Amino acid sequence: MIECPNCHNQELPGALFCRECGTQLVDLPGMTTQTIPDSAMNGAQPDLLEHLAPPPPTDVAISIFIMGSGEILPLEGRTEFTLGRSAEGQPVLPDIDLASYRAYEAGVSRLHVSITLGNEQALATDLGSANGTRINGLKIPPHKPVAVKHGDILTLGRLRIQLLIRR
Amino acid sequence: MTKETLYDRLGLPRDATPEEIQKSYQDIARRLHPDLHIKPGVTDTFLGIQEAFEVLSDPSLKTEYDEQLPSEAKLPYPVVVSAAFSRKMLVRAFGPQLVYSLVDLNVRQELLTDNRPQLNLCLVIDCSTSMQGVRLDTAKETAIELIHQLQPTDILSIVRFSDRAEVLLPANNLSEQRNADLEIQMLKASGGTEIYQGLNLGMHEIRLYRKANRVNHIILITDGRTYGDEQSCVQLAEHATNLQVGISAFGIGGQWNDAFLDSLTAKTGGSCRFISNAKDIRNFLLDKAIGLRHIYANHVTYHYETPPEIDLSYAFRINPDSTPLSIGSPIILGAVPRKGRLSLLLEFHVNSIPAGITEVTLGEGRISYQTPANLDTATFIQRLEFKLPVSSVLDSSPPPPALVQAMSSLTLYRIQEKARADMARGDYLAASRRLQNLATHLLAQGQRDLARSVMNEINHIQQHQSFSAEGEKQIKYGTRSLILPTGTEDKQL
Repeated sequence: MIECPNCHNQELPGALFCRECGTQLVDLPGMTTQTIPDSAMNGAQPDLLEHLAPPPPTDVAISIFIMGSGEILPLEGRTEFTLGRSAEGQPVLPDIDLASYRAYEAGVSRLHVSITLGNEQALATDLGSANGTRINGLKIPPHKPVAVKHGDILTLGRLRIQLLIRR
Repeated sequence: MTKETLYDRLGLPRDATPEEIQKSYQDIARRLHPDLHIKPGVTDTFLGIQEAFEVLSDPSLKTEYDEQLPSEAKLPYPVVVSAAFSRKMLVRAFGPQLVYSLVDLNVRQELLTDNRPQLNLCLVIDCSTSMQGVRLDTAKETAIELIHQLQPTDILSIVRFSDRAEVLLPANNLSEQRNADLEIQMLKASGGTEIYQGLNLGMHEIRLYRKANRVNHIILITDGRTYGDEQSCVQLAEHATNLQVGISAFGIGGQWNDAFLDSLTAKTGGSCRFISNAKDIRNFLLDKAIGLRHIYANHVTYHYETPPEIDLSYAFRINPDSTPLSIGSPIILGAVPRKGRLSLLLEFHVNSIPAGITEVTLGEGRISYQTPANLDTATFIQRLEFKLPVSSVLDSSPPPPALVQAMSSLTLYRIQEKARADMARGDYLAASRRLQNLATHLLAQGQRDLARSVMNEINHIQQHQSFSAEGEKQIKYGTRSLILPTGTEDKQL
């Protein structure tokens, strides 16, 4: 038996899609996240001084600033958000789709990182992404929540975003 | 036209093995034995079968017979079949497993001529009260347009029905149908919907001009639910299939019985479509007629057997006119268009792999079909087998992208089927959850309008514990149409 990673439904070997939730159970070439050489990622280490954070949001609890695009996306309506990129045939979409910010070229996984808002603090959790997540240049272990604060820079593969958190 | 061969009588390809000849003879003999029948026609058929068996089961008589067969009987088959599998091999260690096959039937291009078949069409138009207004008006305008677009040698008849049926336009060459426009303009709506009445009379008209070199097809246009005569309709569809007459249906609005008309039309190799906006009747009907004109191989039928440990668990026609097919030999697959292809998706359920074998036969049998525009041979019978090697190691090569693409859309259609089954059981929560999944996938694929319809249905279910009649069909036929590949097809009637 094989298990659907999304809904844990059991399928027979050979199944291509989960019959319950429609999740694709096989990988096709081109659909996997491309691996970026380490050297390229080191070059992506942020120089903190170069990027003065925009002011924290006043209307929503948290926003993300896509560095290099100048755009700010508010995270609204819930306390947990997944960030990643949408791809054709992808069953589970990230809450925040970074596909339009050249996420594929930057090596962002389809479900890359989640951000959770607690009462006291915000947490970032790498979701087992192919190219990893860095906070202010330091790689964080997958599936372990790490506390983040206003102004922290998350590097998803090579894509840099800055967290703007209301105090 | 070539005379029927002894192989044709037994429904076998020319390269049939002695075992196949034996088995086919026994099967037919069991059905047609004179002790069971007193009808003289059946006895004659039986004698023909017996003669075929006596010749073909005797090696020396068979060789002699094969040598005198006309040369065109030895030409390559006009339809080329190719099958791609989701996996290159079965894995013994897995135990029960699934394997999918994408099957394409194409016309051998060097055999393709410019001949197109004549059409023998019967429009069976529902004139019940609910058709009044734009529905009937569009149907009338389209029928008149169709008359002007068909060739003078084509046959057209029109039957109107409500709770009874009458022939509005008797079957005849179009060159003889002079007052057709006027007759059609006189159509008025009144009464109920009894589909059997209409189909039965339509069948009568079709049979007057039914010929092997024509595509003989009934097109039903309805907006209502028929009551009490479903069983008669099913019998009529079976009769139509035996006579190689196809039935297709267009259902307008929310009130017609889609499950019923889907299965009825699929039985005959026809198609069934949902029309939400009455104005679409025109395009759908003209497209259907064009599709019929461009048929190369008609009534493609698959007679098959699977070993006891294998089930053919799902069959779906992707193109033309995507539709689920009824499982169980024989399957009426539909028609191979002159250009493009007849595509099928099959799901095989492998329950176990017998010890010691290195190759599994998933299914074996033969397809039969007629080519109405090129009548060199009455019926072609061609072998079709699905076999996969067995391996002890895992094969990690990815499935063919075209197969995954088709399965991706088909999975959405099947989620819709399951949501309907949930609703039928009264499990509204499960249905809503499934539809939520469906909506997410549709959005991911950029199908915003369809996703919105699904979201509306979820609301409807939460408020009323039922689908809306129209929304349910919108989702079914909407997800079904996603499976249809977009291609360049002939647009000339």
